[in-house]
Amino acid sequence: MTDREHPNTGESRSTPDPRLRVRLAGITLPNPVMPASGTFEYGDIHRDIMDPGRLGAIVNKTIFLEERPGNPPPRLAETPCGMLNAIGIPSKGTDEFITHILPGLAQYGVPLIISIAGNSVEEFCEVARRIEETGRADMLEVNLSCPNLSRGIEWAQDEKQLVHVVSAVRKAVKLPLAAKLSPAVADIGLMGKRAEEAGADAVSLVNTFKGMVIDLDRKKPTLGNLTGGLSGPAIHPLAVWAVYSVYENVSIPVIGMGGVNSTETALELILAGAAGVGVGMYNFVNPRIMVRIIDGLSDYLDKQNIGSIEEIVGAAHR
Amino acid sequence: MRKSDLPHPRIAEAEVADVRQVNQQYIDILLQQETVARNAIPGQFVMVRSWPDGDPILLRPFDIVHTDPDAGTFRIVIKVSGKGTALLSSLKKGDKITVTGPLGRGILSLDAKRIGLLVRGVGAAAVVFTAEWARARGIEVITFFSAATGGRLVCRDYLEAASDRLFIATDDGTAGHHGDARDLLDRYLKGPAQQEHPIDALFTCGSRRFARTVQELSLQGSVQGYIFLEEYMACGMGDCHGCAVRRADGDGYMLVCQEGPIFDAGEVQLD
Repeated sequence: MTDREHPNTGESRSTPDPRLRVRLAGITLPNPVMPASGTFEYGDIHRDIMDPGRLGAIVNKTIFLEERPGNPPPRLAETPCGMLNAIGIPSKGTDEFITHILPGLAQYGVPLIISIAGNSVEEFCEVARRIEETGRADMLEVNLSCPNLSRGIEWAQDEKQLVHVVSAVRKAVKLPLAAKLSPAVADIGLMGKRAEEAGADAVSLVNTFKGMVIDLDRKKPTLGNLTGGLSGPAIHPLAVWAVYSVYENVSIPVIGMGGVNSTETALELILAGAAGVGVGMYNFVNPRIMVRIIDGLSDYLDKQNIGSIEEIVGAAHR
Repeated sequence: MRKSDLPHPRIAEAEVADVRQVNQQYIDILLQQETVARNAIPGQFVMVRSWPDGDPILLRPFDIVHTDPDAGTFRIVIKVSGKGTALLSSLKKGDKITVTGPLGRGILSLDAKRIGLLVRGVGAAAVVFTAEWARARGIEVITFFSAATGGRLVCRDYLEAASDRLFIATDDGTAGHHGDARDLLDRYLKGPAQQEHPIDALFTCGSRRFARTVQELSLQGSVQGYIFLEEYMACGMGDCHGCAVRRADGDGYMLVCQEGPIFDAGEVQLD
């Protein structure tokens, strides 16, 4: 955590390790590690801290068709080994994203997974089409599971709605699709299966868990939105189980996320079945953590004498 | 007055060069860390953590009280109010901590002959650097400093040294004027002092009520007002979008960590 050994960007391995390459829904990622949507911006501010060119994929903060302001503050509350967020996906809208943000993301030469959402099935399709037209995206992540929107999470909680939106986006575009699932369902394995049947090429999970913190002085919920999404190490075992369960139920690749804060916690998700690993709130704690994990995966392969990370995806099932 | 082409923040280890318990609630920590000491400008902050991974999980933001670029040191003053600050309060000289910074937009230039500082409590930690910077540029500094009680006039020595005139007010009358610092400011602005030595720019920190006053004065055109804002934040670098403050024009939010922590008084909506 203290980054003693790295005066600058914390990079110890300068050339990509070919053993970390993973095939994921028809695209090849240089390594499995990527930010979970909404936890990393690609602006100049990180220039002396970490190089996004080392990531396995770049994932943006979810965009909607139109501009959105996000939720009223307070938007954050720290919790034991985690954090509740009620950001509410502020977004400049799809056109602004395509004109001003997407070209910047493309400069790193890393596969782009563009996270999209909509207020209606038609809107999901429209955003998907516009992104596909740019020719810059390698995959779309369809965010069906934001717990902070009035109509955000229900796409992933109702089988019919999930199938409806995924199959509609599937018809609208040819790009590979990852369906981002919510853990707040009775059987996430089944939801993964439904996403696959509806045409998803991958599933990503888990989104945050809906939660609440109450302010003892005001005797009211702390967050402006009342509830927020719980993330951080506190949810890691829940994410491992969710990934394990979905992996058993689908034949498409799984992108696993939830509480990853180290090489070890990333490896657990990989062994549970994740071909890609998202790092979420821990980027806030240590913006170098993703690069650390990438190097740590190479070290693990060295130590275990394993030829390729793909060999151990889902190994916990065998 | 502000630009964004500042040196980029870094993550680095800092050594505790000195630590002083100001009173039961406040700790003054001098940190040896050259990136921040050399590059920080007034109005910027750092994110700090002194404990190992786990709980509490997030780094804590602190204003940079001042820097000594030659010695490679900078100072923070913390109010012990929760788990993180309680852990920071046990730091000893020689301890190593993690520091990310400098963060936020600061002051690069200021078109003023004389500035006023309207400050309450630990909010003083945010304006000392501004006062020192202003005086080094020949800008006069008039400070109106208040606290609930005399013992909470944190950074008083630093503000005294950095101000041309310092007016003190306490709620209980244990130091200076018995009452509100805004009375003292009002007296200055409406009296001969403002005629003879006009305050052009007014900075405030540490109180929402003070912020509203400065906003009103600024909107009336009496002075150019600037408000230091605090919001809960996870990253300090614009990734988490947590530290949102409503824009005065109603067009969504700004982030304290990126567009602040100093705002033009007219650009933010104060709840």
